[in-house]
Amino acid sequence: MTRPVPRGMSPRARLVLFALAGLWVLPGVLHVALHMPEFGAHPLPYGDAINASAPGERHLTNMVSAVNFDYRGFDTLGEEFMLLCAVTGVSVLLRGQRGEQRSAEPGVTPGRPIPPRSDATVLICRLGGPLILLFGLYVALHAMTTPGGGFQGGVIIASGALLLFLGDGYDGWRRMVRSEAMDACEGAGAALYAACGFASMLLGLPFLQNVLPLGTLGDLFSGGLMLIENAGVTLAVGGGFAVVFGEFLEETRIIPEADGS
Amino acid sequence: MSVLLGALFLLTAVSGTGVALSRTPRQQVLAMAVNGMVLALLFMALQAPDVAFAEVAVGTAALPLLFLVVLASIKMDRSPPGGDP
Repeated sequence: MTRPVPRGMSPRARLVLFALAGLWVLPGVLHVALHMPEFGAHPLPYGDAINASAPGERHLTNMVSAVNFDYRGFDTLGEEFMLLCAVTGVSVLLRGQRGEQRSAEPGVTPGRPIPPRSDATVLICRLGGPLILLFGLYVALHAMTTPGGGFQGGVIIASGALLLFLGDGYDGWRRMVRSEAMDACEGAGAALYAACGFASMLLGLPFLQNVLPLGTLGDLFSGGLMLIENAGVTLAVGGGFAVVFGEFLEETRIIPEADGS
Repeated sequence: MSVLLGALFLLTAVSGTGVALSRTPRQQVLAMAVNGMVLALLFMALQAPDVAFAEVAVGTAALPLLFLVVLASIKMDRSPPGGDP
């Protein structure tokens, strides 16, 4: 340990370095900025092609869902398992350190009392929570017809559940959001998506080929197999976010002596 | 480009700069939530409502919450009650 600890750069030297670096990249930035397409112009043909063909081929009016669940459905499967890995990683890391036992004692920050909730907060959260849940379900259900879908719906549902924590505190959250159920939702959602793919394979068709009847254009339940994939994504995203929220919220509790490391 | 879009781009730049210039972590988390809200409005104005949904839920609710929980967890008094810290 004979090497001296490097001292931080002085603000002046940092500014000089920044100015030099700025001058260095300035021509490139200017070149790109001056040659960008017009604002709002989309020179690539892919979007127009999807807009033209998806309503006829897949019987739905939300082209984003057509791309996510059908034309590029395999990419969404990858994303689904990325989410599964991330949620599993968070659970393993945090639960592994904390142990399975849950405690209800709130953690204490020195010098900061825990104020009681005001009635207004509780009321607003109890009114808003169910409404946001309903809106999330609406967004998830209308994936085939209007903008939104499983991911957006799932995230909205999970953040609506957060209002339970805000309004009713940790105990209310623990009573209403069962972590076992959320774990199951996350896993079952991802499995459902993968099962859709294997179902087509069992019928001798390519992975994720749309095998169900497509329904009528503009109908809530049009799109065939995409509806089930969308349900899987909703479950996985809603459950996954709720698991992550739950694991993080547990971190603000005191680990009981018997269970702590 | 309409006035609305111009105003939203300006707001995005201002709120983004606010995130970069915040000095305490808690301020920065709130600045980030505001930036997420502005971005969601911008996506809405650019006719990308599905991206706006995701941004408003992830950027202004989920991410700030996780950061706030981490900050609270760092500040928590973890010494056993009555024992040596």
